[in-house]
Amino acid sequence: MPKIVLKGITKRFGKSVAVDNLDLTIEDGAFVTLLGPSGCGKTTTLRMIAGLETPTEGEIYIGDNLVFSSEKGVDVSADKRNIGFLFQNYALWPHMTVRKNITFGLENLKWSKSDINKRLDELLVQMHIEEYADRYPSELSGGQQQRVAIARTLASKPALLLMDEPLSNLDAKLRLDMRAELKKLHAETGSTFVYVTHDQQEAMSLSTKVCLLKNGLLQQYSAPLEIYGRPANVFTADFVGSPSINLVDMDVSGTSGDGIGLKNGSCSIVFHPEKNVDIPAGRKVVIGIRPEMIRISDSGRAHAVIDSSLPYGMETVLCLKLGDIQLLVVVFGSIDFPKGSRESIEMTGNGICLFDKESGELLSVGSAEFV
Amino acid sequence: MAIRAYKVRNFLRKPQNIILLVLAIILSYLVLVPFVYILADTFSVHPSEIMRIPGSRVGEFTLYHWSKIFASADSYTTFVQPLAHSLVCALGSCVVAIGVGGIFAWLAIRTDMKWKKIMTTLFIMPYIMPSWTLALAWNNFFKNSLVGGVPGIFTAITGISTPNWFAYGPFPIIMVTGLHYAPFAYILIGGILRNMDSNLEEAAIVMKTSKFRMMFRITIPLVTPAVLSTFILVFSSGMSSFGTPQFLGLPVKYYVLTTQMYRNLNGTNPGLGYAIALILIAISLAIMGINQIILGTRKSYTTVSGKSSNFSLMKLKKLRMPISVFMLVFVFIITIVPLVSFAIESLVTVPGDYSLENMSFRYWTDSDLALTEGVLVNATVWRAIRNSVLLAVLCSVGAGTVGCLAGYAIVRRWGAKLSTFVNNLTFIPYLIPSMAFSAIYLSMFAKSHGPIPALYGTFALLIIIGTVKYLPMASRSGVNSMFQISAQIEEAAVVMGVPWWKRMTQILIPIQKASIVSGYLLPFTSCMRELDLFVLLYTPSSILLTTVLFQYNSKGFDQYANAITLIIILLVVLMNALVNKLTGASISKGVGG
Repeated sequence: MPKIVLKGITKRFGKSVAVDNLDLTIEDGAFVTLLGPSGCGKTTTLRMIAGLETPTEGEIYIGDNLVFSSEKGVDVSADKRNIGFLFQNYALWPHMTVRKNITFGLENLKWSKSDINKRLDELLVQMHIEEYADRYPSELSGGQQQRVAIARTLASKPALLLMDEPLSNLDAKLRLDMRAELKKLHAETGSTFVYVTHDQQEAMSLSTKVCLLKNGLLQQYSAPLEIYGRPANVFTADFVGSPSINLVDMDVSGTSGDGIGLKNGSCSIVFHPEKNVDIPAGRKVVIGIRPEMIRISDSGRAHAVIDSSLPYGMETVLCLKLGDIQLLVVVFGSIDFPKGSRESIEMTGNGICLFDKESGELLSVGSAEFV
Repeated sequence: MAIRAYKVRNFLRKPQNIILLVLAIILSYLVLVPFVYILADTFSVHPSEIMRIPGSRVGEFTLYHWSKIFASADSYTTFVQPLAHSLVCALGSCVVAIGVGGIFAWLAIRTDMKWKKIMTTLFIMPYIMPSWTLALAWNNFFKNSLVGGVPGIFTAITGISTPNWFAYGPFPIIMVTGLHYAPFAYILIGGILRNMDSNLEEAAIVMKTSKFRMMFRITIPLVTPAVLSTFILVFSSGMSSFGTPQFLGLPVKYYVLTTQMYRNLNGTNPGLGYAIALILIAISLAIMGINQIILGTRKSYTTVSGKSSNFSLMKLKKLRMPISVFMLVFVFIITIVPLVSFAIESLVTVPGDYSLENMSFRYWTDSDLALTEGVLVNATVWRAIRNSVLLAVLCSVGAGTVGCLAGYAIVRRWGAKLSTFVNNLTFIPYLIPSMAFSAIYLSMFAKSHGPIPALYGTFALLIIIGTVKYLPMASRSGVNSMFQISAQIEEAAVVMGVPWWKRMTQILIPIQKASIVSGYLLPFTSCMRELDLFVLLYTPSSILLTTVLFQYNSKGFDQYANAITLIIILLVVLMNALVNKLTGASISKGVGG
């Protein structure tokens, strides 16, 4: 089964660099998402793995096979890489029925008639599209077209499945259903999935590992919860999580014992790193506090004013004013707060992040308290 | 070195690269090399010019032709005035063609106008007919006695004598040429209107944009590329059109560049003719350059994705009936009425007398006439029919196939230098006036060059020149249709290992069947009615219907000429219907329907 290795992959379009010296190893059986804002090079990376795009530099291995190398002049064509590719616009063949769309590739692979029919029946059942077998794509809804596209891609049982924002054309409800189905599909097939998306929730909920890209540069490549809990830099912290993380600029005022004193106007915080780090006084830092790490509590030492309150039923998202600082807070449970009311707040848990202001890199994770 | 070899191998592994490479080589020879010949011809003394250029010998270098055009007392009459006439006629034709074709396309595709099926079928007719037959029809109706001869049907019926400006000169030339190319505008603009994602317009509707505003701010900008393509095609056709200005301009001595060129090529001053041909080509090239600059920045809107959508027809409401009736009458006048005039003119025994007693089928069926046998019992006419059909089939197969492949390769490698080069090569033949093109091929293929034998007098030469000349239509339609298929549609098959020829024959071509078939049909119909291109190259054994018509027409055999015109139109319409039946696609269905 394939493990995919990208070594120093660079892709230039004229002068602009789409992907910049990317090293990436995708383990066999993994579900890896390539995540990032539009134009970050994620789709280009996926297409280079597929062999639909030719890298400018670097090497790509699928399994033990070198499929691309700019130096050795190797470029294995897409059809020889044993992949399945799911396109954003489905790319169903409009002049073929659902049945034909699914079987066309198999006929081409010289499968026997009975094998093809068997596989077709399996897929129709698996994707719940039995009743549409003889319809044309234009007679199907978006969700149904997507199912057909997935069935077509799965037909030849590819060991590696590449997906380019396959759910972005679906409505929210359908998207949730399809997410669950894709995850199930991954478990059932045991294939390696590489999935491109700009939707961080999709990336978080689906993948075993997230590869976060920005302007063609790799930002972080970790498990979703790791990305969430230990973002490598400010960009990653900000990109992942909804509602987004609170990032507050702070000055380091001094160290006392294991605590680092931070100050921004009237707001003072003591940060306790999980491991000893040396951060000199006067350094500019950014503290990252996830919304669920701030708690409304009578014992809280800081006092904030409710600016807005958005109750969702399961939780309520609050926008607080702490002096000049704005904070997003998630309160779990069905609860609402009147605008303008004063509440005491405190920080909980060990997941508070401290970043260097200048480089944006993560300095440490730890706990913190208002003073 | 090894890496270079790999690169070459990887390059050649892609079929689009091989197609581009092969086309670049072959078309360079058939399209670019003629320019060298034509250029050399403008600088050398031709046999018939020895008397004009004192002390010269045949083949000698001379600046005589160019100085005569740009720097002599005759410049105005030999060049400047015909140039001005050409520009006026070409621009006027563009306005008529785009206006009439565009409005018709919009009515036929986007509104609930009645009788669409019959109208769209009929509307293509002027394009199927040679443009100079429409001129012939104009003449049948509106000719007056001021220039000499008997007045036309209009005068015979109403008693009103038509003024010269209406019967001859720029006005009828513009109308006839414009109406002839209106179907082209309809095909190109209609193609976009039909395939345009209606979300684009609906997006504007939801924003409470008025219908009027939407038309001007959304619909028209989206069809701008199609309008521009129509413009350059009609403009260059107008500039190089020969038959119509010859027919409608000559009686009042109204010369355009092409008729001026013909006069010189056929007269005693061929070098001057070649020089004018070069200028014509240069003008067309300049237009294409401008077009490329404009379109280059906003070249393509992918209007068809893998997702399907439908648009709703605009309701004409109270105007539905008046507009439908008006359009039907209009379409009738430009299509059926000319045919009726040919039929009538082929029946009258004594010209100018349109009474029933004066009509008979003698010019069709009698074999003992004073001039020559009636057209249906005439061996020459039958041979010409056979040759014309065979030539049209071969040229359309050649041009259609090459155009389809070229379109595919050009779009897949869009933006690459080789692709741009081939794209331009496939279009250049359109810019070379037919008459000049055939004159050059005549001299180019008179002798053998290396492995290429002397082809003059062979049917093969007619096939080659026809294929090359009609390639632009087919390659345009190939490029347009390939642009409309999102690349993902093919990539979905690529990753499954579907080989290239199978992707072409089972996915790409079937999806764009209609427009690809029209890439075959356009060359076919053009070839059936072509005169200018073949008139210098045919021999008695390769005589064509149009050249028979030309002979009869210049001999004043009016009834025969009108009868043969009818035969040509009938054959083309029949062929269209046949292809329509066989493939379920046609020129009109490609866009209207």
